[in-house]
Amino acid sequence: MTGQGDQSGSEEEGGRTTEEPFAERLKRLEDRIAAARADRAEPPRRGHGEFTQGSLAWRMVIELVVGMLLGLAIGMGLDALFGTRPVFLVVFALLGFAAGVRTMLRTAEEVRGRRGEAALMGGRPETRDETRDGTGD
Amino acid sequence: MADEAGGSGFNIHPMEQFEVVPLFGGHEVHWYTITNATLWMALTVAVASLLMLVGSRSRAHVPSRMQSVAESIYGFVHKMIVDVTGKEGAKYFPYVMTLFLFILFANLLALIPTSFAPTSHIAVTALLALAVFFSVTAIGFYKHGTHFLKLFWVASAPTLALRIILAFIEVISYFVRPLSHSVRLAGNMMAGHAVLKVFAGFAGALGLAGILPILAITAVYGLELLVAVIQAYVFAILTVVYLNDALHPGH
Repeated sequence: MTGQGDQSGSEEEGGRTTEEPFAERLKRLEDRIAAARADRAEPPRRGHGEFTQGSLAWRMVIELVVGMLLGLAIGMGLDALFGTRPVFLVVFALLGFAAGVRTMLRTAEEVRGRRGEAALMGGRPETRDETRDGTGD
Repeated sequence: MADEAGGSGFNIHPMEQFEVVPLFGGHEVHWYTITNATLWMALTVAVASLLMLVGSRSRAHVPSRMQSVAESIYGFVHKMIVDVTGKEGAKYFPYVMTLFLFILFANLLALIPTSFAPTSHIAVTALLALAVFFSVTAIGFYKHGTHFLKLFWVASAPTLALRIILAFIEVISYFVRPLSHSVRLAGNMMAGHAVLKVFAGFAGALGLAGILPILAITAVYGLELLVAVIQAYVFAILTVVYLNDALHPGH
């Protein structure tokens, strides 16, 4: 890009004495402007990609664990209430696990659409069906 | 210096910094006792208010440094809300802004050496998350009445039994969110500060070679600065996402 710009610059200096058609000079100027623009264009924002990925991974793990613990707690509580020791514990442990997975999947959906926290990751959303996808860049 | 620490081996107490101690004598902590946690939370509020009040006082067309900081925080939070919830979420801006500023400055002030980190206590973050949880739920019921409960009813499931089971799962997962929300913020802050203390302990014990842990502390400190800001952002944007669920339960 810069090579092209330099070349056209030196050409201009050399060919100053000879009268050139206006259109050709204009074309060269446009080329130089385009080259300069390309030079100045900001590189795509990297964001805190890797850091956010790690943070999102932690979020998913915490959600899974918290879901299971919450299920266990509810089950134990109901058992203590009704005196049916293992029944509710088993049922709600499974439900809690499912809830943890459900929350985790919702976070995964967020990552896929680059919505919410995942908007920090940069890059493009993989789905385009959402009109409200994240802060974007 | 190295001898003092070297006498009793490694002298590392990474969790000591999280102790809540009364400031004005006494050993018991009652609900009215003024502790270091009280002090640092008050300082957080003071610094955040100072920035916003002084920043917005002059209302210059060409902003001073402080004004442009205040304005860019304002604009950032406002854009975050409007992007996620649309225009109708904008009226909940003050709440989200308050949360964001409080957590941001609590995290940042905690990075001052010998200070105290209120947000590393689950009691603080859980209260913040519960406040979000209750207000979002209240907004949902206020806006949509019993239709808000549709959030938990998976109408696309084939049989009624499955729908009931899924409703249980959805309700539990609704309660998982504030918990994970608060565990994350507290965990992030506590882990970072504990790591800093552990490295600091190494630096004291190693003598001349202590330069290595000191370099490591510098790096971790930089990372902690990033964590402080990102965790505040994450807490705020999750609040906005939950708010969006309450405003548009159909999605």
